[in-house]
Formats: sequence, structure tokens, C-alpha cells
Amino acid sequence: MHNSAVLRPITNLFGKVSGFANRNPTRMAIILGLGLYAFTVFQVPGAFSVQAISTLFMMTLLLSFASAGQTMVLIGGGMDFTVGAVMSVAAMITTSIMRGEDGRFLQAFAVCMLLGAAVGFINGVCTTKVGLPALVVTLAIGNVVTRMSYLVTAGTPVGRVGPAFASSVIYRHFGFIPSLALYALILFPLVFYILYRSRFGRQLYLVGNNPEAARLCGINVNKIKTISYMISGMLSAFTGMLGVGMLQASRNQMFDAYAYQSLIAVVVGGTSFAGGVGTYGGTIAGSMVMVMLNNMLTALNLSQRVREITLGLVLVLILVMYNRRKGVRQ
Amino acid sequence: MFETKEMGKRFDAVVALNGASLKAYPGEIRALLGSNGSGKSTMIKILAGVYGPDSGEISVDGKVVSIGSGTASRQHGIATAFQELSLIPTMSVLDNLMLGSEPKGKFGMVDRAEARQKVQALLDRFGIDCDMDAYIQTLMPSTQTMLEVAKAVSQKPRLLLLDEVTAPLYHDEIQVLFRIVRELKADGVSIIYVTHRMSEIFELCDQVTIMRSGETVKEASTNEIDLDEIVFHMTGQYPEAHAEKEVAGDSGEPTGREVLLDVRNLAIFPSVWDVNMKAYKGEIIGIAGLQGQGQPEFIRSLLGAAQITGGSVQFDGKKLDFKSPVDAVNGGVGFVSGDRKREAVFPVRSISENISAGKIASGQLGAYMTGKFIKEFSSGAVEKYNIKIGRLENPASSLSGGNQQKLVIARWIAMNPTLLLLDDPTKGVDVHSRREIHKILQECAAGGMTVIISSSEYEELFGIADRIYVFFEGRVSDMLAGARKTDELLVAAMMGMTGQNKDGEAM
Amino acid sequence: MAQVRESFSRFRRTPAFTGFVLFTFALTLNVILQGPANFFSPNSLGILFSSNMPFLIIVIAQGVLLMSGTMDISIGIQLALVNVVTIMTVQEWGLSFVMGSLFGVAAAIVASVVLWVLISVIRLPDLLAGFAMTYVIRGVNVFIMNIPQGTVARPFWQAYSSLLLGFIPASIIALAVVLAIWAYLKRTPFGTHVYAVGANPQNAFAAGISPVKVQLQAFMIKGLFTGIAGICLTLMTASGNPLQAEDWGLRSLAAAIIGGFTFGGWGTIACAVFGAGFLVMIQNSVYFLFNWLANVIPGLMVTSFWHNFIADSIIFLGLLTTIITVRGQREALRINLEKKYMKRGESIA
Repeated sequence: MHNSAVLRPITNLFGKVSGFANRNPTRMAIILGLGLYAFTVFQVPGAFSVQAISTLFMMTLLLSFASAGQTMVLIGGGMDFTVGAVMSVAAMITTSIMRGEDGRFLQAFAVCMLLGAAVGFINGVCTTKVGLPALVVTLAIGNVVTRMSYLVTAGTPVGRVGPAFASSVIYRHFGFIPSLALYALILFPLVFYILYRSRFGRQLYLVGNNPEAARLCGINVNKIKTISYMISGMLSAFTGMLGVGMLQASRNQMFDAYAYQSLIAVVVGGTSFAGGVGTYGGTIAGSMVMVMLNNMLTALNLSQRVREITLGLVLVLILVMYNRRKGVRQ
Repeated sequence: MFETKEMGKRFDAVVALNGASLKAYPGEIRALLGSNGSGKSTMIKILAGVYGPDSGEISVDGKVVSIGSGTASRQHGIATAFQELSLIPTMSVLDNLMLGSEPKGKFGMVDRAEARQKVQALLDRFGIDCDMDAYIQTLMPSTQTMLEVAKAVSQKPRLLLLDEVTAPLYHDEIQVLFRIVRELKADGVSIIYVTHRMSEIFELCDQVTIMRSGETVKEASTNEIDLDEIVFHMTGQYPEAHAEKEVAGDSGEPTGREVLLDVRNLAIFPSVWDVNMKAYKGEIIGIAGLQGQGQPEFIRSLLGAAQITGGSVQFDGKKLDFKSPVDAVNGGVGFVSGDRKREAVFPVRSISENISAGKIASGQLGAYMTGKFIKEFSSGAVEKYNIKIGRLENPASSLSGGNQQKLVIARWIAMNPTLLLLDDPTKGVDVHSRREIHKILQECAAGGMTVIISSSEYEELFGIADRIYVFFEGRVSDMLAGARKTDELLVAAMMGMTGQNKDGEAM
Repeated sequence: MAQVRESFSRFRRTPAFTGFVLFTFALTLNVILQGPANFFSPNSLGILFSSNMPFLIIVIAQGVLLMSGTMDISIGIQLALVNVVTIMTVQEWGLSFVMGSLFGVAAAIVASVVLWVLISVIRLPDLLAGFAMTYVIRGVNVFIMNIPQGTVARPFWQAYSSLLLGFIPASIIALAVVLAIWAYLKRTPFGTHVYAVGANPQNAFAAGISPVKVQLQAFMIKGLFTGIAGICLTLMTASGNPLQAEDWGLRSLAAAIIGGFTFGGWGTIACAVFGAGFLVMIQNSVYFLFNWLANVIPGLMVTSFWHNFIADSIIFLGLLTTIITVRGQREALRINLEKKYMKRGESIA
């Protein structure tokens, strides 16, 4: 409670930054992301190249696709831990159906969407109708999905993605614009439409902010939440397809890390755990922060242990700036 | 002795206490009376350390003290039994009664035997028949209330505050409570007793303090005052609040209009037992009654948010069959809750979204709906009903309580429902906003909308309602219309002093 | 008979009921599939206890935090922390195993207090704070021990997996210590304050209880239990590994919820034991089930993938059954309300 004279300027500065972060989460995330990159380039000049920037762009896009559904689920007051598992399984399905032939893309796509929607539906029913805590139940469902993929592939996924599909993801137009950006031209407007231009999106914000008031307004709260999980499942599945398009071959649990990565990207982008607040623009910026952070830790060529400790501490610092709960006394 | 002087307390624009005072002498039971919204609950909560007063002083034995927290209140020897209960539902009876004052035994452990003994003694003393290891949430409301009182008494207070504890209690439990209160009185404890039941005052209390509109208007000994005088001081005279309405005949039922709602023998377990009501198109129906007489449940049952367990409801010529508020809203019903924070307002969303919430709720999920549309829709509603509320893009939480309520009402009238339900919509709303809300409702009714409004403040019902149904213990105790809309009849009906319950006593 | 029914319906309302049913089901299944003679043989019981003791104890530790209204998903990697601290203090500083263990326990308590600062004092969301801590602790673990190495002196690990009096698994001593500590704590004011803070911090504060202080106590107790679990793990593996048991953080949470905990103020240590027991027994049962199937159906080849899939599916289904306890509470309330109805009916008549 008693700041010494030395600490006060620091805490004051921190308070200001924290205030800015809470008012303008998107701008803060962009500043943070660019700052991290600038620091990386300052330390390791080699990190500044057309190739490198292009790759960072691609990684940011992929994470922002994966986080789109998570954004919606969090706005609706839930949490989706199946993102990583669904992505991994979708990747597995894609390679094993396509087996290197582009002609089977639509089949793979249909199966992936079906899987995503089914997982999302189960998530939704378990959190709303059964009333289980989202964290635990989506985690358990994610485990089942992962186990299923091991079962189907007997441990080693087979096949490859079709060459055309692969280049639709990784080809670099003019040498640096990743083709993945073309998918963004479809996905971003779609997500923006769902969140900001559709009745569903409007209802989702109300549900997340005050579910009881939403119910008494005549909104079918359970349905809206379940749909948000289903959208998240389908978007995760599609992102898994794109991800494996980038890496060509799949392996089990290849995208599991995206469950947490997406959650943090969404939170850094200003979406609150309490629900009802958040933007997809913020999530995209938050995805950039995560990618830049990972890039910095890799580029600095730190040992594994220093890298992990730094990552943990930076996360704590970011969380302190953004997402503090209210105290008991008001 | 305990004394509060010149107490002032505001909530947003609403003045809850305006120079009220209260004295409590040792060995005395003082009834604290007042209609809903008179400030008596606020006074209790200040003494309990829940609210801090804006002005005024509290003194204990002549020394001025400040009560900044529940702990401080307890240190001054004050214990409170709250109407809304301070028990923790997921803990056992034993743990709840001993929470924070566990008897110490060996090695820092709680002396379980002593705790059980103490609790058993308390349960015996209060005649509470329950397992002390049972979870609070599995006990019936009357038992929970008795436990709340027992918890307060177990703190051996010098001043015991009982805030409307008899409402959920049964006859035998009330007798036990009275016996204990008298025992405490004999031991020199000061007791402040808040109640709505008039018969209890004369049976139990020595003194009365009557509050009205945040002021203390009368102090007297129960020997010197009679029921009529008490009712007079509680309700007072507010001629300017009576907007004149033409009298539509004695039964009050309008002729030549269609019946919109016909409720017969409605029961909602366990709070509504037998309600009959008719509402015509374009009518404003008032629902009066003390807190917790089944009004909220009745209103919610019409919205499909509470399960009907008996009787029938005809709505617009058809059997009412709403399974959820979704059905009700699609069927042309709107609902405005007085519990804004929990049930009505979306605090972090913008004002325009809040106003458009009803529009947002109904229709195709995939439909195109821009921010511009929402803004236009809400500004249209704002203009039409001349609602003055800040910038449409600000969050709803930036508004005062009165404006938030106007927001919620605007939400529904913009939808133009055939039936608008309002549950205590003006709770904590300032006089000015209240008047505007009444004006809007009257306009709506003139346009053919049926309005059912429940209110804890009956002056407002006199002002706007064509007919007033008075609820008492889950039944309609009286229906007031035309010339029968008087303070005296209403207060009598609210206290259950009509029809089957002439003596005003809970069954 | 009525008395039996009454005490059963009372039990049905306790938090541990579904956990108990699930555990009994899984245990019965396990015993049948393994064969009672095999299951109850001292050796197999010894292995059952010694190999699952660390997990059982951290579920209990997680449970203590859930009671106080928070959680720690970095609890898994903290086991590895205890493990590496214990091994390395013995190896590098030449301490005795007992002294090393004390350092290990201390490390777990320090980690827990750090997390308490983040969650209770700075008030970060507990899930994300725990996630960030997982990284920090993993890094620290690798600092202390860069690659798996080290040993535990033979007498210690032999003692851990031995049978006392020829039939009591020695590892049970660790559980007994934990339960004894809890039995004591439960009888102190902390034992009730922790529930009050978890269920309703406002009301607890009004009753003169400091939620932040109670959560500190809960975190320290959790740290102590994690330390004990870490020692068990060290004795079990008799070596050091800085990157083990990480996913036990989330698994322990799932086990606690299956056992009947909710987030905040609901659940007992019995819930933790039943939840952990259910997970272990289901794992075993599925293993023996496939063994049995392979015998019955010639030529059936079943991979471990099937085991994992079936086991995790059953765990998911187990989660769904926790709704039964909620129903039990509602049922009790309904019965009481009906009593009230009758009472009222009588007084009207």
C-alpha cells in the first residue's frame, strides 16, 4: 500500500499503461506486438527480412483464424478448450482423406465441418443444459477427440494434403504475401459479419453481458451459446485444415498448443473473461502479440529454460495490465 | 442506548434517508414502521455496517461512533437478522451459526462438542426442528429465516435488528420468536423490529417509530397510538400525486372492450395459491401488496418464466402456453423488471443496444442487422417517447437508475407488445423519471396496449392504474376500482385485513 | 428401514455422492475384470497404491483450492519441481534424502505462495495465472536439472514400494499423513472459513473473515500437499525428470470435479479421493477389459489407443453424472417445500 518514492513513478506509469490498455485494448496490442518485434530486430538484426515478416504474417493469420471462434465463445460467457484438439484432428482427417489429391478437398472439408459442428454442439449442450464448468468439460471433450484421432490413425496419421491446396496456403504472391491472406479475405468478413452485422452477434453480446436479462428479453440463451460453440468448432476445424496445408503432413496433437494460444490472444485483444465485451479486431492484434512474442523468444536464441521463464513472466505482466477481477470490497 | 441523528443517504438520484433519526433504549422493543421505500431498510443497513451514511451521526451510549463494516457493527454490540439472509446456502446449519465465532478448543481447533452444544441449545431455544448438519439450501425458507434470527441472537447483542423476519414465518414460529424477543428485552437488550404486520406491533412492541420518505415522522408508545393513526402516519397525504382519473363505474371493469387476459384460480407452487384477474385491452392494471406476496411469481408466470401449477390463463382468446420468455415475447408480451442489475440492463453494452434488445431478441438469427439500424431504431424510440438519455453509444452503466429504467421501458414500448408486464419498475427511480414513465405508460394504454404494473409504492398505482388488485399471501385480497381506490382500503387489503383475514394475522 | 432410507437420502445430498457412486462402479468393474484374487493380492494392491499416490494427493490439494474458490493448473509441473529440487539438493549439496525432501516441499510451498499473490492479491484470472506459472516453473525446473538424471538411495525407494507387515502398502503412509493434516485443519476455524470464502466472499467478509488470508492458507496447504505428492513421485520413479506430470494439473481438476467439487465452496476431501479413485480404476478396468476381450475373442488386437479412448470417454460421461448431486439438492428442497405446503394446508383446515 505504501509505495516508496523510488517505486511511485514506476507504479504511476504502470497505472497509466494499464488504463490505456483497458480503454484501447486493440491499439495497446498493436503497440505491444510491434514493440516486441522492434526489440527483436534491435537485438537480432537478421530477424528483419521480407521472408521473416511474411512468415510472421502467416502465423498471425493462422492464430487469428483459430481464435475467431474462441472470441465468440468468450463474448458469450463461455470458454472453448477444444480448439487445439479439433484443429489437430481436422489436420489428420484432411491428410488422410486427401492423400495428396486435390480432388478430394471437398470431402475432407465436409467431414471437418461436420466434426467441428458436432464437437461444438456437445460443448454447448454440456455447458448450458448440463451446466458443467466450461473449462473442465471442454477439456474432457477435447481429450476424447484427441484419443479418437489416435484411434483412427493408430498413432501415425497418413497421407498428405493436395499440392494445389498446399500452395493455396503457402504460395507467396509477389514473393512475400502469403496466399493464406486470400482465406482471410473470406474468413475475416465472415467473422465480422457474424459478430457485428447479424442478429446472432447482437444477441451473443447481450447473452454474455447479462444472461438472465437476455433470457427475459426473449433470447434463447442456451441456443445462442451452443451456436457460438459450434461456430468455434467449425472455424477451428477449418483452421486445422489450413494449418496442415501449410505443413503438408499431419501428426497427432500437432496443433494442441492453439487451445491456450487462442485463449491468450483473445484476452490480450481485450475480450473479457466475464463475457459481453470484445472485438475480433482486438483478437487479430492479440494474435500478433502472441506470434511476435514467440518469434522474439526464438530469435533471441535463448536456451529453452530462459525462454519459458521469460514467456511466463511476460504473460503475467500482460495479464496484470488487462484482466484484473474486482475485489470483494467495493 | 443507541441513537442515530439527522441521517442522510442517497442512491444515485434517489434520496433514501433525509434527516431521519432513530433511538433504541435498553430493554425496549421498538417497531420501525413505514411503507415501502420509506427508508427503514436503509436505516437498518447503516446500523449493520452494510451501507455508509452520507451524513448524520450514530452514537452508542452518548459517544459518537462510525460503523464502517459488519465487523465494526458487531463490535458495538449490534446484531442483525437480514430480510435477504446472510447465511451461506452451501454450508451446514452448524457451520453457518458458528461462522466467525467458533468456540476455541485445544491446539487451535474448534471445540466441536461445545459448538454442537451451543447450536443445539440455540435450535432448542428457537424450537427449530432441523438437522444441524443439513445444508442451508435444502431447508425451507421459514427455517432459514429462523436460523438467521438465531445467528443474530447467538452473538449476544446489545442491539438486535430484526428486518421483516416474520414475513416467511408460520404462526408457531412467530410465537417462538416473540417469546425470545421478550426474553431478550427482559435481559436489557434493545430491539428494533421492522414489520409490515400491524397486529404484531400491538402484540409485541413498546414503542413505534414511523418513517415516511426518508424522514422520521412519528414516535410514540404503543399505548398512545392506534392502528388508524399509524396508517395515517405511514401513508400521509399526497394530493399532488393523485392524477385525477375518470371513474369507470364501481366494478371498474370497462364496458365495450375486449378481454385480453383472463386468469382463473391461478396457482404457482409455492408462492401463489389462488389468483383471479381480468385485464381488458387498453387497461392499466395495478398490482399492489407487501413484498413477497406472490406478485413477482404471478407476473413471471405470464411471461413463461415461472411454472404454473394450477388454474388457467386465457390470453387473447387462447390458452396461455408460453414455455419460455422466448415464446412470450413472440406472442406479444413484454417484461420490465425492477431488478435492473440482474434482470434488465446490459451494463457494458451501449444505450442503443439496450433499447433495441427486444428488437434484437426476435427474428432470424442470420438476419442482417447493422449498428446503424440499431442506432436508428433506438433514436426513433427515444424521440417518439421523448426520453432524454445521454449519448446512444455510451454504455448503459453510465446512466442513473431512473434513466436505466426508462431505457428498459423504451425497449419494450418500441416493440409495441399487446401486453406489457412491469414488476416494480420504479424501484429506486427518482420522482421526475417516475412521472415520465407514468406518462409513457398512459400513452401506451391509450393506444390499446394492456399494461400490468406491480409496484411496492401504492401512491403510484393510484395515479395510473384503472384497477388495482391487492395481493396478500398468494391470493388477491381485494380489487380496488373507482371510488374504492383509497389509502385506507388499500392499506387494509395489503395487511390482509379484508375478506377472509379480518384480523390481519398471517394464517 | 425408514432410517436406512433417510440416511441414504441424506448421503445423496452430500457433495461426495456422485463421486462415491462412480468410484464404487469403477472399483467393482476393476475387481471383476482383474479377478478378486488378483486385485486383492498384497502385491497388486501395493503397486496400485504406490503408483497412484502422487496423483491422489494432488487431487486432494487441488480440492483444497477449489473449496476456497480458486484453482491451480500448474500443480502438475510443481510435482516435477519438488522432484528436481529433492534430487538435486541430494546430488549436488550432498544432503540426506530427508533434508532434500524438505527442500522439495519448501519449493512447492514457495511456488504456491507466488501463485497466491497473482490470484488473490493481484487478482488475475486463476486459469491464465496458472498457465503462465506453468511456463515459469518448467523453466526453473530445467535450470535446476537440465536433463533427466539422479537417483534415490535404494533403501528409500524400496521402503516406498514395500509392504508393511506383509500386506499394507507403505505408500499409504503418505496418504495417512495428508488425511491426518486435513483432519486437523478441518477441525480448526479454517475448516469452515474456507467454504464460506469459496461460496460467498462477501458474506464471509461480513462475518469478519478475510478472504485473502484464508486463500493464502489454502495455497500453503496445497503447497504442502503437493510437496508430499512430489516426494512420493520421486520415491516411485527413483530419479529426476524436470518435465514430467505437467498434464496432471488439468487432470487433477477434472478428477476433483468428477468427484463432486464445484468452483467455489462445494465439495469435500472425500470428493477428491473418489474422483481420483474413479479415474485410476477406470484406467485399470479398461486395461483389464481389453485383456479379457483378447482372451475371449481370438485374434483381437487392441492397441493402447483403444484403452485411452474408452477411458477418456468414460471420464467425460462421469462428468455428466455430476448433475445428479445437483438434482439431489433440488429434490431435498422440493421435499421441504411440500412439507411446508402440508403444514399450511393443516393450518388452513
